[in-house]
Amino acid sequence: MAKFISYTLCITFLLCFPLIMHGSDILPYDYKIEELENGLKVISIPLNNPHIISYYTIVRSGSRNEIEPGKSGFAHFFEHMMFKGTKNIPRETYDDFLTELGAGTNGYTTDDYTCYFIVFAGRDNLETVVKTEADRFINLYYDEEMIKTEASVIEGEYYSSVSSPGRRLSELLRDTAFEKHSYKHTTLGYLEDILDMPNQFEYSQLYKKRFYAPDYSIVLVAGDFDHDQLMEYVRKYYSNWEKSNYTLVTPEEPPQTKAKRAHYDWPSPTLARIAIGFHGPVYSDEKIDKAALDLLAEIAFSRSSSLYQKLVIEEQKCRTLSASFADRRDPYLLVFNATVKKDKDLSYVENEIFKELKKLKNEPVSEEILADVKSNGKYSFANSLGTTDGVASSLAFYINLATDPGTVNKLFALYEKITPQDIQEITKKYFKKTNSTVVTLTGGKAK
Amino acid sequence: MRKNIKYHLSIIFFLGMSFLITSCAKEIPGKLSSELLPLEGNPLVSFRILLHVGSVNDPEGKEGLCQLTFSMLASGGSKNLAYKEISKKFYPMATSVGLQVEKEMSVFTGSVHVDNLEEYYAIIKDMLLDPGFREEDFIRIKTNLLNFLEKSLVSTNYEQFGKEILNLMMYEGHPYGHHDAGSIESVKGLTLDDVQAFYKEHFVQGNITTGLAGGCPSAFPSKVTGDFSVLPEGQTPHLTLPEQRMPEGLEIVIADKKTPATAISMGFPVPISKANDDFFALWIAVSHFGEHRQHLSLLFQKIREERGQNYGDYAYADHFIQGRRKFPAQNYCRQQQFFSIWIRPLANSNRHFVIRQALRELKKLVQEGIPRERFELTRKYLLNYTKLYAQTLGERLGWQMDSTYYGYKDFLAEVQERLPKITLDAVNQAIKKYLNFNNLYIAIITEDAESLKDALVSNTPSPITYANPNMPKEILEEDLVIQTFPLDVLPEKVRIAPASEFFKKMGIPRTN
Repeated sequence: MAKFISYTLCITFLLCFPLIMHGSDILPYDYKIEELENGLKVISIPLNNPHIISYYTIVRSGSRNEIEPGKSGFAHFFEHMMFKGTKNIPRETYDDFLTELGAGTNGYTTDDYTCYFIVFAGRDNLETVVKTEADRFINLYYDEEMIKTEASVIEGEYYSSVSSPGRRLSELLRDTAFEKHSYKHTTLGYLEDILDMPNQFEYSQLYKKRFYAPDYSIVLVAGDFDHDQLMEYVRKYYSNWEKSNYTLVTPEEPPQTKAKRAHYDWPSPTLARIAIGFHGPVYSDEKIDKAALDLLAEIAFSRSSSLYQKLVIEEQKCRTLSASFADRRDPYLLVFNATVKKDKDLSYVENEIFKELKKLKNEPVSEEILADVKSNGKYSFANSLGTTDGVASSLAFYINLATDPGTVNKLFALYEKITPQDIQEITKKYFKKTNSTVVTLTGGKAK
Repeated sequence: MRKNIKYHLSIIFFLGMSFLITSCAKEIPGKLSSELLPLEGNPLVSFRILLHVGSVNDPEGKEGLCQLTFSMLASGGSKNLAYKEISKKFYPMATSVGLQVEKEMSVFTGSVHVDNLEEYYAIIKDMLLDPGFREEDFIRIKTNLLNFLEKSLVSTNYEQFGKEILNLMMYEGHPYGHHDAGSIESVKGLTLDDVQAFYKEHFVQGNITTGLAGGCPSAFPSKVTGDFSVLPEGQTPHLTLPEQRMPEGLEIVIADKKTPATAISMGFPVPISKANDDFFALWIAVSHFGEHRQHLSLLFQKIREERGQNYGDYAYADHFIQGRRKFPAQNYCRQQQFFSIWIRPLANSNRHFVIRQALRELKKLVQEGIPRERFELTRKYLLNYTKLYAQTLGERLGWQMDSTYYGYKDFLAEVQERLPKITLDAVNQAIKKYLNFNNLYIAIITEDAESLKDALVSNTPSPITYANPNMPKEILEEDLVIQTFPLDVLPEKVRIAPASEFFKKMGIPRTN
């Protein structure tokens, strides 16, 4: 009975109270940032919810860093290799450690960064987690044979995603819209590069040396721990990690001067799809361009927007309609996506999207709608912080962009300042036909 | 300091007990029940309006009706507000109504900041209790359902497609034996009158549990139960399910389609669920064998890590749907359960080998049981990992409702209580009692199905090659055994149908 009660209590306290917005900052938690001599940045967010700790390692290298031909998908491939263990802690021992810990653990790769996380219960386990993770990042060991086997796994992962027409459309859009920048390819990479991965042992060593280094990495810890204790462990185990001093120069994308278009024939029946991309600005918490575009995406294409209501709810031409203006470290795409119920309506939907953009250039949006969008943004972000891991995973994205969680406070403060006139000016600046790329996909006959 | 600890423990004890007290559902036949998880000071409120109604309640010939009806509530207008207006009102609150429909259970979900609780609740109350049933909503939602069946399920997500074929095979002629969304034929025949009749028959008090968690005002739960009490009393009669049919030998269905990779799901019914004592022992065994998306999984280690065949390989002691991260989602409870293996897509050239490998590993598990160190490791893993299951408000409420369904005050607490007492012997007995390697349903999506059938029936050796020319000797030696591992596949037990024929009508399409 005693055990039963004690565990019930544990469960009772697993809840992390989500944030209450106070003052002018969207982020209600205190955080600390420290940097070791080798350049490793540590961001700690102690939270008042016992037991759970989220331990994230953010390596600021993603598919953006794949600048050489034939190396697309390498950041993601290397993420897999990071689970191969070290001479001190072989893979089997590492796996058993995480298994005994009952940790929620994984890694993921994005355009700009690769992230590894361990979510676990019990602050007593913190030192072992720090020690084990430091060993993994400093002393990763694998041989040529392990590379070859893991390359087959990546091929399998490619096959797992190959049945998604949405993914294919996204690949086509990037490949068409970008000429030089490494955002041209997705994180999974081109199939021909995936098939060549078994032969990339030497390049993998170079990749590791360049990017798996303290000056490219940030440790983010949220949850139940003491900051000073954390820093003692981090200094003890990470201080001998050597700097890379490598400077990445991503290829500069030339300005687009004429509209582009591409199409893909999907081999079996599927809903028609269209994606329209415009080259946009880089993420910033100071300049209003990107922030204003974020608001515009919601105003014109969210579920409450007049265009969504028209195309999805009233006319029912579309199954989905959305805008995705992703934040990236280099200028990326502002993308409008729609799945269209009938192939013949693709051009109609395309015209409606361009008409809506024209309207936004000619008329300022209403103050009321803008206020609704700002409100939605605040509550959405607040809801994402409902658990320890929600705090860490939400902030990992922004920390990758700006290396400081405070960027979130600055960004939301920036949103507050934006006016309907700002949005109108920004629309004129970016949504020019010559800056557009339209890609479509339609399904074939049943096979 | 000591006093402080005592003080904290007493507070913790009080809070823990209040959790236990408030977690109890009150069920009176024919009347509304409720689950409450009040957490004073929490700025969020989470709703789960759960119905003990699901696709098993679809009338014959009207499969998909439950999904369509409840979608009309979650994604349609109320009498007061058109769906367009609802979307506009939800938007500044950053909220919505979610829906999941399963075999025997459906749930409407929502979460809102307490600032907006009154406004949000007023809208969802009308959506659920006073639905608009507008023709334009009906056309939109029915078309979406048909698009899903015609164009999404078969063509764009063949991992899910494989699991659905396994369900069709396992439950042919059984109330579970159709997709929750129905078939193209059945959905085409559904009318708005059908929807209204289904709502009237099933949206009654005794079918409903109103779940609330978070920092709502103390009077709010009574208001909700008061509002829902306007529904008629009564409940859908408890469905007595027919016995589950075990496969006789290896029963195989191959969906034939042009594809670079093969997807495989296999399994068979088991007579126990989380409600049974034996479940905990079986869970340890299956977690060792194939824990979902974890390195712990033996299948993952053998197929992916050692041989790089695919992205992952897992096994499940009961029906599993992935929720947040890789944790199990809640409110997918069923009376009858099944064991399954999920092999993620792999190169067509290696399909026969991997089917052999999975079945050989299953045979070894059944015949040899699990080693003591793996038993200890898996048990420890489950004791710790389950502590992460219920982190969000919605997850906690969901687990509380599932606990009630399976007859526990708190299933996750039960895990902590029971697992330490389970012996290796009990686990190995559960394996012998509930698992087997001779009788399985196997669903495969691949191209050139006839050649796979021929290879399976004639037990053709299925060697594979590796990119790595220096594979470890012990793996190559084991491969020699796997590539000729005999499978007893009878030609009459292999059905092949074009992938495009699935879900047009009920059941498995007629074979060539």
